[in-house]
Amino acid sequence: MADDALSITFAALADPTRRAILARLAQGEATVNALAEPFDISLQAISKHLKVLERAGLITRGRDAQYRPCRLEAEPLDTAVDWIEEHRAVWQDRFDQLGQHLRDIQHSTTAPEENQP
Amino acid sequence: MSDTTTDGTPTELHEVTHTRVYAASRELIFACMTTPEHLTHFWGPVGVSTPIENITVDLRPGGAFTTDMVNDATGEVYPTRGVYVEITAPERLVWQEAGSDNDHPITTSVTFTDLGDGRTEVVSHQTNLPPHYVSEEAQAGLLTSFDKFAAYVEAL
Repeated sequence: MADDALSITFAALADPTRRAILARLAQGEATVNALAEPFDISLQAISKHLKVLERAGLITRGRDAQYRPCRLEAEPLDTAVDWIEEHRAVWQDRFDQLGQHLRDIQHSTTAPEENQP
Repeated sequence: MSDTTTDGTPTELHEVTHTRVYAASRELIFACMTTPEHLTHFWGPVGVSTPIENITVDLRPGGAFTTDMVNDATGEVYPTRGVYVEITAPERLVWQEAGSDNDHPITTSVTFTDLGDGRTEVVSHQTNLPPHYVSEEAQAGLLTSFDKFAAYVEAL
């Protein structure tokens, strides 16, 4: 298992419960109890998920010893999104360039076929 | 269409599909996808070249499909080492390449459909992508904005 930041982020995002937790935190800070509420799993399990998210830098936790509210951190998520966009772009670019190449070899000026994805 | 027999992929596999329609015959497009002289013109994404001398197309099942894509700005080389699985000219092309997880090679199938009016629909379909590609829907959610991602997750 690679341990670069991106791999850690993606590993953290690869779990539906953790994505749901992040989705909840996108609306604002929340305590562990509040985060656990919609799930049919133990507080311990939620804590475990939070540790994974914290290690990935996707969340930070407050210093308040009793509640330690969780907070979403956008930066690693942005990095992950950039990476996905880049890789998604490979086939988009390839298809764009294939279109240009076909036009070049057909010596034609037919109507553009590059529909927006 | 009943050509689903080769597709035994379990649902948890990660898949991405891209579709494009071209004003060209599928024979020509199939040739473009399987000839180094053509591939070198379009294979690399923007900012990346695919030198013809490092493209191998051994067009038979088990044959090699390899490229060395070169980042124009940094010179960094991205080698791809694929093996053809299925060649049905000019309809379908399938190859596999090792992903980050070698137990699960990435399979790419490209299907060429004659639309009957001089145009051809080309669909690339990748399965077994590493988990970080996540599902198409989750990607869309991640890509549009985190708010929409949140809405997507809530709707699960």
